Amino acid sequence: MKSPKNSVIYISGAVIFLFLLLLPFGISNDFYQDILVTVFLFAGLGVAWNIIGGFAGQFSLGHAGFFGIGAYTSTLLYFNFGLSPWIGMIAGGVLAAIVSMLVFYPCFKLRGIFFAMSTMAFAQVLNILAVYWTGLTKGSVGLLIPFTPGWKEFIFQDKAVFALVAFGYMVITFGVCHFVKNSKLGSYLVALRENEEAAQSLGVNTTWCKLQAMMVSAFFTAIGGTFYAQYVQFIDPDSLFPSVMSIRFALLAIIGGIGTVAGPVIGSFVLTPLDVFLRGWLGGSYAGLGFFFYGCILIAVVLVWPQGIFKLLQDKVELYIRKRSSEKSETRDVPAGRPGRVIKHAAAGRECILEIKDLCKNFGGLAAIKDVDFSVHRREILGLIGPNGAGKTTLFHLITGFIPPDSGEIHFKGDNITGLQPPFRICKKGMSRTFQLVKPFLNITVSENVAVGAYCHVNSISQAKRKAEEVIEFVGLGRYSDFLSSSLTLSNRKRLELARALATEPELLLLDETMAGLNPKEIDEMIALLRNISERGVTLIIIEHVMRAIMALSDRVVVLHHGEKITEGTSAEVSKDQRVIQAYLGGSYLHVEPA
Amino acid sequence: MGFRAHACLFKDNETVGAVLQVFINGVMLGGIYGLISMGLTLTFGVMKIVNFAHGEFLMLGMYGAFWLFYFLGLSPYLSILVVVPVMFLFGLLIQRGLIQRLIDATGITQIFVTVGLSMVLQNAVLYMWSADYRGVKIPIGTMSLRIGDITISLSRLIVFLATLAIVIFLLLFLKKTSLGKAMRATSQNWRAAWLMGVNVRKIYLIAFAMGSALAGLAGCMIIPIFSVFPSVGVNFVLITFVVVVLGGMGSIPGAFLAGIIVGLIETFSGFLLAPSLGPMVVFVFFVLILLFKPSGLVGRSRI
Repeated sequence: MKSPKNSVIYISGAVIFLFLLLLPFGISNDFYQDILVTVFLFAGLGVAWNIIGGFAGQFSLGHAGFFGIGAYTSTLLYFNFGLSPWIGMIAGGVLAAIVSMLVFYPCFKLRGIFFAMSTMAFAQVLNILAVYWTGLTKGSVGLLIPFTPGWKEFIFQDKAVFALVAFGYMVITFGVCHFVKNSKLGSYLVALRENEEAAQSLGVNTTWCKLQAMMVSAFFTAIGGTFYAQYVQFIDPDSLFPSVMSIRFALLAIIGGIGTVAGPVIGSFVLTPLDVFLRGWLGGSYAGLGFFFYGCILIAVVLVWPQGIFKLLQDKVELYIRKRSSEKSETRDVPAGRPGRVIKHAAAGRECILEIKDLCKNFGGLAAIKDVDFSVHRREILGLIGPNGAGKTTLFHLITGFIPPDSGEIHFKGDNITGLQPPFRICKKGMSRTFQLVKPFLNITVSENVAVGAYCHVNSISQAKRKAEEVIEFVGLGRYSDFLSSSLTLSNRKRLELARALATEPELLLLDETMAGLNPKEIDEMIALLRNISERGVTLIIIEHVMRAIMALSDRVVVLHHGEKITEGTSAEVSKDQRVIQAYLGGSYLHVEPA
Repeated sequence: MGFRAHACLFKDNETVGAVLQVFINGVMLGGIYGLISMGLTLTFGVMKIVNFAHGEFLMLGMYGAFWLFYFLGLSPYLSILVVVPVMFLFGLLIQRGLIQRLIDATGITQIFVTVGLSMVLQNAVLYMWSADYRGVKIPIGTMSLRIGDITISLSRLIVFLATLAIVIFLLLFLKKTSLGKAMRATSQNWRAAWLMGVNVRKIYLIAFAMGSALAGLAGCMIIPIFSVFPSVGVNFVLITFVVVVLGGMGSIPGAFLAGIIVGLIETFSGFLLAPSLGPMVVFVFFVLILLFKPSGLVGRSRI
């Protein structure tokens, strides 16, 4: 897709790249060269932090730990084995990646502040170890790297060369980050940041994705650590591990634009020189004021301008481009709900796709699900009804692996999937679900939302995009494809959730109250859509309170009450069943004649 | 291995005494950890916001006691009368200006605004009062009780008793007064409390200010034991997180007990491995607690 926006970005990117590449040679002043080196180095570090902190939304306050690992590994390898820091740099990166995997594999189950706390503890532990192992690290005294210029020694007389190397570091980190962002992994990271449960229901192995992002991030942070050691030629625990260091990486990303590739670079270009100039301007009375201002800026940006500088610039640029190209704007309105290619052709017949035997689940003393058994045939639409609190959603959670059952068995396509966790495994097998309270990935577009689901079975970006567009058209969201999902109405959010689940190509789809909160017209549309899905060969289980929909759609109905199945049969049979009437309306309505 | 050597020495009478001494030291240290965590326990319990600047509040309290001693010769224990109200007011202002905006903000905002606040406070103090270590030398600071072979530092014993008193005071306040009851209600479900006529904004305001005042009080109590410098809070803040999480995130007696456990872990691992490794073992223990018993010692968050 050639658009004026893309060419503007490419041209300006090339110009900036060349300018920055030549910049070190244009500056002869030591002071400015030092600023340049620091700007490049911290830009790279901010980009590296952003991979896990921005894309995946795991706010690490312990990246100084990886930074220190990089600095110490290369320096110690150089001192003890005479290994060139270039090799030590890679070794440090790999070590940091391995450490990050071992430490954070368990920690990723922590959310938000608790994850942040565990990362703080991680950096602190490394700090204490570095001070303690005096035999290896000389402890608090620190290590002085002798000044022996040379390419092998990774020390240069000319600061311009340092600047070039730092520039290379920044560009490579930037490139990797760009690659990650536009890959399947990037799409998954954003999805799990926006809503971890929904991501899992779409087949995303969230822990593994976070781990990959953390390892890449740790690797590049450690590389930055080696560079720092070679540039400053002195390392000690106090300068490498303090929490201020970790915060600084995060700060650049947040101020520049969290979750964007270019944000941290912009953050570094704005903040690092500011820091140095403040130091020059305030002279000897400087102590503390730099970080004082950093703190103020951090608070202000997070509160007032949480998207950062990059987003603001981006919006401005987009507005400008849109103004210029508004004359040739095209309309692409496609009628909704038109049946497309059959997603998966299922074998016809009365084959049993899902079988549930004696399923039980207790929450404390409450039997949420008790001895429930039923089966679902391929291509059938099964209605699941029951009063509030009957255990319908709990049953969905059990089937899709969000919570393990206490006893009983679940068989899907003949395989025993009882207690198969986490939920992404079940999705991969061909079962998907929607949520009662919709969980869209709010800050990305509709097509990006659906692409997350499409990645379940394809790896290439273009295939996923195509698949997503196809499903979006099918559910009738075609015109909203490029809208942020946060801008959708409830009705469209429900469609979006349906589209996301459909994109995983499920054979069995569990729909939790897709009609709740819709108006009568929207309900009719939804009924037509579900019938359409069913005709394409997808088996459906629907939880619904809208009886009109249950009557119109379901081949069979299972009724739950107090966690037990009280009856099952066709919708006509069930609606006349005394126990069902009693469960819904209470005993006193049993003898009321229908009007 | 040092561990084996110590284990064999247990038969020795001298070592039994040493172990008892380490135990007492651990409990006393635990009293300190409990005290510095009370404020955070209260604010986290009521508002569900983790204040990453809590260590800096403590640092301000320590500086307050130091300057009052330095200029007026006021005993740190008396300076409580000045520092606590001032820190209460300070807490009111910070809550009004900053923390109130975080109540229903996203994780990133909650973390980085308080992180930013900690940077601002730390470096403002560094700019004004330099990085010098400053301590208060009072006779009580060097006095200690001897019971048999066991020595107990008097200032640490005072902290321990003060912690106990504060725990009892807070429990009575939360259980008996109507303000305390409103706080507990807000903690459990602020919406429900709000609908029942509790002024939730006011409760948050008071809870945060009380947390800040408690940090100030802790600062006064520990200044005879620890020197103060601008980044002293960084050393304490992670320990307070450990205590608050282990204590069940918001439980006052839980935090007291957790403080003692953390103190014991630190002194015993320091005794068995190396003194400087004590905190490391605590942090490793902390991550393990987060992973395997995230609800802490006393189960669900209750204040």
